Amino acid sequence: MEPEVMKAEMVLAPTLPFKKVQTADKYPKGQSRGRQWKHLRYLLQAADASTMPPDQPNYLNIQSPPSIYPPKRYCDITGFEAPYVDPRTKLRYTDPEVFKQIRMLPDEYVQRYLALRNAAVVLR
Amino acid sequence: MPSLTRPSRQTDFARFSSSTPIVIDNGSSTFRIGWAGEAEPRVSFRNVVQRPRHRSTGETVSIIGDTDPPLMKFFDCTRSALRSPFDDDVVYQFEYMEYILDYAFDRLGATSEVGHPILMTECECNPSFSRARMAELLFETYGVPSIAFGVDNAFSYKYNQKLGNCGEDGLVVSCEHGTCHVVPFLKGQPVLGACCRTNVGGFHVTDFLRQLLSLKYPYHTASITWEKAEELKKEHCYVALDYMSELHTFKNNKEEAEEKTRYWQLPWVPPPKEELPSEEELARKAALKEKAGQRLREMAAQKRSQKIAGLEEKISSLEELLEQLDEADEDEAAAILGRSGYLSPQEIKSDILKCTQALRKAKGESNGNEDKSDVSGVDKYPLLSVPDETLTPEQLKEKKKQQFLKTTTEGKMRAKQKRAEEEALKEKQEEQRRAENPELYLEELRARYSELSEKFEQRKRQKVGGSHTNGNHSSSGGVGRGERLNAAQKERMRLLTSAAFDRGKGEDTFGARDEDWLVYNKMSKDNDDNGNDDDESELVRIASKLKVPKYRPLTAEDYKISIGIERFRCPEVLFQPGMIGIDQAGIDEMVSISLRRLMEDESVKELLCQSILVTGGSSLFPGMIPRLESGIRQFRPYLAPLKLVRAADPILDAWRGAAAFAASSKFGKQTFTLADYREHGENLFHRYNIVYTL
Repeated sequence: MEPEVMKAEMVLAPTLPFKKVQTADKYPKGQSRGRQWKHLRYLLQAADASTMPPDQPNYLNIQSPPSIYPPKRYCDITGFEAPYVDPRTKLRYTDPEVFKQIRMLPDEYVQRYLALRNAAVVLR
Repeated sequence: MPSLTRPSRQTDFARFSSSTPIVIDNGSSTFRIGWAGEAEPRVSFRNVVQRPRHRSTGETVSIIGDTDPPLMKFFDCTRSALRSPFDDDVVYQFEYMEYILDYAFDRLGATSEVGHPILMTECECNPSFSRARMAELLFETYGVPSIAFGVDNAFSYKYNQKLGNCGEDGLVVSCEHGTCHVVPFLKGQPVLGACCRTNVGGFHVTDFLRQLLSLKYPYHTASITWEKAEELKKEHCYVALDYMSELHTFKNNKEEAEEKTRYWQLPWVPPPKEELPSEEELARKAALKEKAGQRLREMAAQKRSQKIAGLEEKISSLEELLEQLDEADEDEAAAILGRSGYLSPQEIKSDILKCTQALRKAKGESNGNEDKSDVSGVDKYPLLSVPDETLTPEQLKEKKKQQFLKTTTEGKMRAKQKRAEEEALKEKQEEQRRAENPELYLEELRARYSELSEKFEQRKRQKVGGSHTNGNHSSSGGVGRGERLNAAQKERMRLLTSAAFDRGKGEDTFGARDEDWLVYNKMSKDNDDNGNDDDESELVRIASKLKVPKYRPLTAEDYKISIGIERFRCPEVLFQPGMIGIDQAGIDEMVSISLRRLMEDESVKELLCQSILVTGGSSLFPGMIPRLESGIRQFRPYLAPLKLVRAADPILDAWRGAAAFAASSKFGKQTFTLADYREHGENLFHRYNIVYTL
């Protein structure tokens, strides 16, 4: 280790005096750990039905419902109000200038703009 | 960028008795740890882990919190992203949690077992598996005797209640890193059944800003990192009081928009300016060019004269040979032939002919081109002048061909002449227009140029537009259906399939008529070019007139990033999560939902609305409180009293409240120990909720 790194003490030491079980023993090297971590969604689904009484508040209960206000439509490129939608790319735009720009965008940017709104087509 | 300070190791761990609790505020943005009863957390750092590989030793190390850029060059960070143990606000990756706790206790100065009770914060209604695993981690690995979990917003509320900012019954509106919560309080206790959570927070605001900027300025994607976007957000973003009217201001009123726009100048060094060559330089270069040209011309002339001389020599020698052959007898003739290398006198004659032709050509070049056209004119149509009766049938055919050729060439020449005349006329007209009104002419020219160039680019894009795929599309080894998007390609495909499709009835009669073959013309990919020629030539002409440079050199302007509408568009995500596609209510609506879930009567609601506390890191946007107030007023009855207060310190209040709670005497009764956990298992957490009123 280089002296600057040692001095800065930025790296976690492999063994620590206050731990009963060291990390190196708990997670031995070489084991593929990535697959063990499931997404939160799955963990919540697994925990949900079996153990929880239904009338008590739990993590999923307290989530907000969708908004009652009708969604306002904003232009994807400029951010102003957008009454129009481009039928080919499904992007929203405010005026014809923006429309010209949209038609000149390469496909990659179209998908990225749509992804901002969570409206991109995901092929899986 | 503020200089990075890593928290230093505390030295007084041993000073605290084993009953003093350690207070941990485990937040999705920062991790704070300290002792109960103190005013500030001892150690606080960003709650992220990265595990890069050290370049020289090759081992994988863990680095927690923000890193010092100069020191990171020793590590290979390509495969180690910043990871957080959180998803929204629930801890689910306990390996990273362990690294973080390691680092935290290490910085707190722990040298032996952590024998202190721990108070840890969590989110509202933390799932029991998360609590269980956290308890397990703390008990088994760190040797903690007892633990208590509490909600961070509740601690913040209690702390502010003590300070007098809010009453015993009230509402907490908290905007954190990954989520926003609204929790009502009745008689000092949070009513968790009526609380409300939306999965947008400061992180989403920053990410939105980052993506907008990198889409607007694709050349600077590398400079617009998440951390930089966070800085920009903290410095420049504000919440608009009325979003729609602010949008209108920006759209219609240029001066006000200009005032509110901030500019970020990226470092840019102008390229070293090329000095225009001075007069003498130019003159010298011209002279050099002249000399070089002259030299070349001399060389060419020399070569030509040499060639001419050589050819003449050859001709003369061959003629001599012929004469010799004529005069000599048979035997000698054979001998002479053998010596010279020719097989017969005919060959010699043909050779002589070739040489004379070449000679004439060479001589013709040096004389000028006028002879050539006359010669060709005379040579091509020798039969035209001869009357029909004297010719044989073959010669008649020849004559017809020559006549046809002549008429066509003449026609072409005439057409060319006419076009030249038209162009000359147009030029004269344009010159006239230019002389009359130079500015207008220039304007027209520029407009025409931009129109044409746009059309051109569009057509170009249409042609290749079908073949643009982004990384996600699976390339099906050829032209897939998705790529044939523009009209021309669709048409082509249609023709190909219809031509190939065997209709079955009757024989295939394709090709019997001439027009059928025109289908191939339509099918060919290059057909589009035919229509463009006129536009293209006009474009080129206008470009040369306007002296438009091909590539505009980059200026400092290109490196200036303007943040105008994004300043208030990004924090608006907290109020309208639909802007980034999350189908949930914004924070002003969440208050109404929470009050509705409370299912109490109007008087209670009114009481609650008179003490609303706004806390959490993302509530520090300027203009947040007035906006929230107007939003909540929209669904409260007319003229209902409303009072919103910002927490004394929205960022640290949660920890402070927790520390105050832990320091009280009643804390010991609220914890659970390892024995309790072993006895009840995970069921312990279903009913576990601490009492916040002290």
